[in-house]
Amino acid sequence: MRITTILGDMLRALVRRPMTQAYPAVRRDAPSRLRGQLHWDPEKCTGCCLCVKDCPADAIEMITLDKAARRFVLRYHADRCAFCAQCVQNCRFKCLSMSSDQWELAAKDKEPFTVYYGSEEDIHALLEKCAARADQALPAAEP
Amino acid sequence: MTETSRLLEQAAQITTPWGKSFTAPEANRLDVVIDANDLPAAAAALNAACWGYLAAITGLDRGADDGRIEALYHFCAGAAVAALRVTTPRAEARLPSICAAYPSASIFERELSEMLGVTFVGTPDVTPLFLPEDWSPDAYPLRKDIDLSQPNTVPVRPPPTNGENGKHFIIPIGPQHPALKEPGHFEFSVAGETVIGATVRLGYAHRGIEKAVEQRNWVQDLYLLERICGICSHIHATAYCLGVEKLAEVTVPPRAETIRTLFAELERLHSHMLWLGVAAHEAGFDTLFMAAWRDRETVMDLLEQISGNRVHYSVNVLGGVKFDLEPQHIDALLNGAAFIEERARYYFDLVNHDPLFNRRTRGVGVMTAEQAETIGVVGPTARGSGIVRDVRVEAPYLAYTRCPVEPIVETDGDLAARFSVRIRELLESCRLIRVLLETLPEGALQTRMPRRIRAGEAISRVEAPRGELFYFVKSGGGEMPERIHARTPTLCNLASALILSIGRPLADIPMILVGVDPCFSCNDRTATIHTADGSAEDETWTWERLRRYGIEATR
Ligand code: SF4
Ligand code: SF4
Repeated sequence: MRITTILGDMLRALVRRPMTQAYPAVRRDAPSRLRGQLHWDPEKCTGCCLCVKDCPADAIEMITLDKAARRFVLRYHADRCAFCAQCVQNCRFKCLSMSSDQWELAAKDKEPFTVYYGSEEDIHALLEKCAARADQALPAAEP
Repeated sequence: MTETSRLLEQAAQITTPWGKSFTAPEANRLDVVIDANDLPAAAAALNAACWGYLAAITGLDRGADDGRIEALYHFCAGAAVAALRVTTPRAEARLPSICAAYPSASIFERELSEMLGVTFVGTPDVTPLFLPEDWSPDAYPLRKDIDLSQPNTVPVRPPPTNGENGKHFIIPIGPQHPALKEPGHFEFSVAGETVIGATVRLGYAHRGIEKAVEQRNWVQDLYLLERICGICSHIHATAYCLGVEKLAEVTVPPRAETIRTLFAELERLHSHMLWLGVAAHEAGFDTLFMAAWRDRETVMDLLEQISGNRVHYSVNVLGGVKFDLEPQHIDALLNGAAFIEERARYYFDLVNHDPLFNRRTRGVGVMTAEQAETIGVVGPTARGSGIVRDVRVEAPYLAYTRCPVEPIVETDGDLAARFSVRIRELLESCRLIRVLLETLPEGALQTRMPRRIRAGEAISRVEAPRGELFYFVKSGGGEMPERIHARTPTLCNLASALILSIGRPLADIPMILVGVDPCFSCNDRTATIHTADGSAEDETWTWERLRRYGIEATR
């Protein structure tokens, strides 16, 4: 009877480097297609909200400050995001992309997970508006 | 006449005595409307004629206006799907059980009765399967009029037992048990060493996805359904996409079809390797467990490189795929396939020629082809018992129509056969990956999908790593589905483990369960033995005496 054993494999493993990675001591680059945190480029955005409509996790809100002047702020909830990239697919103007570098998404509280994108001036205006109405809910997103 | 239309014609003939109407919603389907009282007779006739196997029972709530609940009994033979459609009044929903002809229907009937409130007359087990103990017995989640703003809970009911009150010893396993990787609750009644009853209680990870999809749009549902399973995420999404695309009459570009198929095969590779590791671990062969999982990383890295994620690759969109293959991906895939192939050959030798390991697998958990047919098992579990049941072969879809699959079948029906089937499937998948890459068509990745899907019903069947995955998709013509029913392969195969365990020594149970893939090992050994007829007094055994008994009993 032929006998195959795993001994050879075990002996080879003894002299080989460990297969496990020394993360976080050594941080290897992720593959270029990795789907990490979402990014939004307001430049070409028309505010059509197609990205919001199909998001399965309710992770994006498009807040319109001034529709005619195309002033929008995108509020992204990284803690809800399922990293499915459907929003990236939906945007016809290629405003959305997923970072292959920002994937260490862990924090001790929820705050860092709410990310505002838009021009600094617009975000500032929005946050001020929110602060002024602190007793009320945040402005509702465009449906 | 094609084989499929011959089968459908035959099904129509068999059910003629009871059929009130016959329709063909798709080329490979036949819907037979019958009277609910004729159900057992019609099912028995199909069984007697050996026409296919019971794939699923789908329940539909037709709403308050219609006032009826409809149940669809799907039988599959090759590419043909015949459904017996029965209705019952919503106010007093009752259907006769078909467990006499199809023992595997028990699990489906339990599911339907708790989800839609149908009472099954004559079904052997009426305990809840999925819903929690404190769920109200009058709230049926899949009825359209359920009030979801209420918690629908009641004070906790007593935990389930399988009815043998105090007469036999019941060994409970789970839901939290060191040997279970996922929560599930099994109860084995034993008479001495022999198992005389087995029940399963699932649902500890039940998330109500089938209800939730009715409240989201078609695109959002894709990602929800993908998350039914972490191992076969892609195949769930694929089954759903195929169903929806069929309803919308959208044809996916050939390049996208090939990429979907490629991912399905990569998924099979890593799923089978995961299983190999877990099964080896349960048999006490931890070195093989480590080696298999180490090598599995090759596949995971490939998936991550191409799609950007290891687990939920999310390759599918409705109408195509998201990610294209670049030349460097093709090279990496070819190298990966060559490596896995070499390893699979080595594993094959190992599990077939390691004398110690063979004592744990040869002749254990034997299921004959006849048993496999009656129980309605699918996937590698069926193929280990000599049944050619592989959707990729019987009803090819996607690129399998262009690149035929060689079905892998073993005839021994024991655990060793299931090992051989899965390892040989690794080789077959590697071959397929090469063929798919050689014949990768050029062209677009997506076609446009309408937001509203034409009203209708579609069935899609695909071969998941664990066997046939069955999707029933119903659209009312809107932006959201009306009903989606997913029948996962494990639900079919689990029934086999329960049915096969009756009459077996307790020590065989872990092996029988591991063979179907929801693997778990070692039962709690108990030191209290009740005699088989329950008459003699109970005795408490010392560990040493139990050990000696064990050695003598298995000599
Ligand atoms: S990646 Fe998916 S879950 Fe995340 S924001 Fe985009 S659509 Fe929503
Ligand atoms: S889909 Fe694109 S253009 Fe439309 S709102 Fe979203 S980011 Fe802006």
